[in-house]
Amino acid sequence: MDKESVRIEFTVNNKEVALDIPADATALHVLREMLSLTGTKEGCGIGECGACTIVVDGKAVNSCLMLGAQLDGRMVTTVEGLATESGLHPLQEKFMEGHAVQCGFCTPGLLMSSHALLEEKENPTRAEIEKAIAGNICRCTGYQQVITSIETAVSERLDGENR
Amino acid sequence: MSKIAYIKPDSVGDAIEILADKGSSAAIIAGGTDVMVDLRSGEITPEYLVDISRLEELKGIRMENDELVIGAGVTLSEIYNSDLLAEYAPALKKSAYNFASAQIRNIATIGGNVAHCSPCGDTIPPLVIHEAEVLLSGKDGQKRIPIEQVATGPYRSFLEPHELITAFVLKPRKAAFADFKKIGRRKDLAISRLSMAVMIDKSDDGTISFMRFSLGACTPTPHRMIPVEEFMVGKKPTEKLLFEGGRLLAESMIEITGRRPSIIYKEPAVQGLFVRMLHPVVN
Repeated sequence: MDKESVRIEFTVNNKEVALDIPADATALHVLREMLSLTGTKEGCGIGECGACTIVVDGKAVNSCLMLGAQLDGRMVTTVEGLATESGLHPLQEKFMEGHAVQCGFCTPGLLMSSHALLEEKENPTRAEIEKAIAGNICRCTGYQQVITSIETAVSERLDGENR
Repeated sequence: MSKIAYIKPDSVGDAIEILADKGSSAAIIAGGTDVMVDLRSGEITPEYLVDISRLEELKGIRMENDELVIGAGVTLSEIYNSDLLAEYAPALKKSAYNFASAQIRNIATIGGNVAHCSPCGDTIPPLVIHEAEVLLSGKDGQKRIPIEQVATGPYRSFLEPHELITAFVLKPRKAAFADFKKIGRRKDLAISRLSMAVMIDKSDDGTISFMRFSLGACTPTPHRMIPVEEFMVGKKPTEKLLFEGGRLLAESMIEITGRRPSIIYKEPAVQGLFVRMLHPVVN
């Protein structure tokens, strides 16, 4: 009965996948090493830096703290799922324009935390943005450009809707 | 290939049978935010990972016969977003606000926060002031124990390997004033160095008629501070009274911990946090 390998099926970036994984593999390991989705980064590996943030069933989570087996049946979005054929995601555009990226290592995690926030809230305040990305550590930018870029993405989305 | 097996029980009953069979070779995964860290560091080396994260029996926050019941599998995000808790256990809701990060709040559970028996579990002081009881299921059936009995010391649990926390039963109270405060190295993602939870009601004449207070993180296990409550009840809350209460609190803490090197910092910090937290109730 007891299996050291687990069969999981889930949706990642709108694609259904099925694979056998080691029972103790993290979700991060499954994404990076088994599905080659290397946009998601491993920073600290203990849930403090947020570089490994992915969105599972609409919620931002640290993929280093999640068992791969727990992905079974879930809807997963990684940074690779943000851009479409028609171009980059608005958050990615604004991060580029607003100099929210320096070394870039924390960027996938910051994008996923802010993506989860923007899916949940139409018009988050600056304080809500700060709260949503508090679990993403960036040693380059000093955060202000990141927060401003997210604010710009929010206001342009609202402008687009009101037009 | 890994030597760890993954088991996903279909019910609490099923989980208990598995836990009874595997004993201490099994680790329970709910949110996993503590277990995954310990697994990575080698702090724990289980043979089985028992995943209870999807058991519906452990979910939900509800009022049952005038008792507030919180499922052990409720996440910190769910606690923060609960209208029922905002009304009947606001200090618990507040403890969820600065709990770790959004990513962790989305998966970490209240059951795991309590079962891990860390002295700095942020949900414990709010549970203590609501005189919470812990519902345990084990191979010998169910039992209810007071929250303060779960931890016998730092990271040491009273629970048997076959026992599972299924829910917390709180005395609901719409107190006039309730709060949770902590001191950590930064605002978010900080392990509490000191934490405290309080509920206060006042009589028409402005004196404190009811108070529940719990200290966390700076003692080996969180404690309800009854001498502090007794000292404050029946008196008008003035700044002077808060300083005296804070002094008594610091003395009570030292009685439990002894004079450790960190006391030079903790003694004034405990008093200061107490005064700051209770200041809104000064007449």
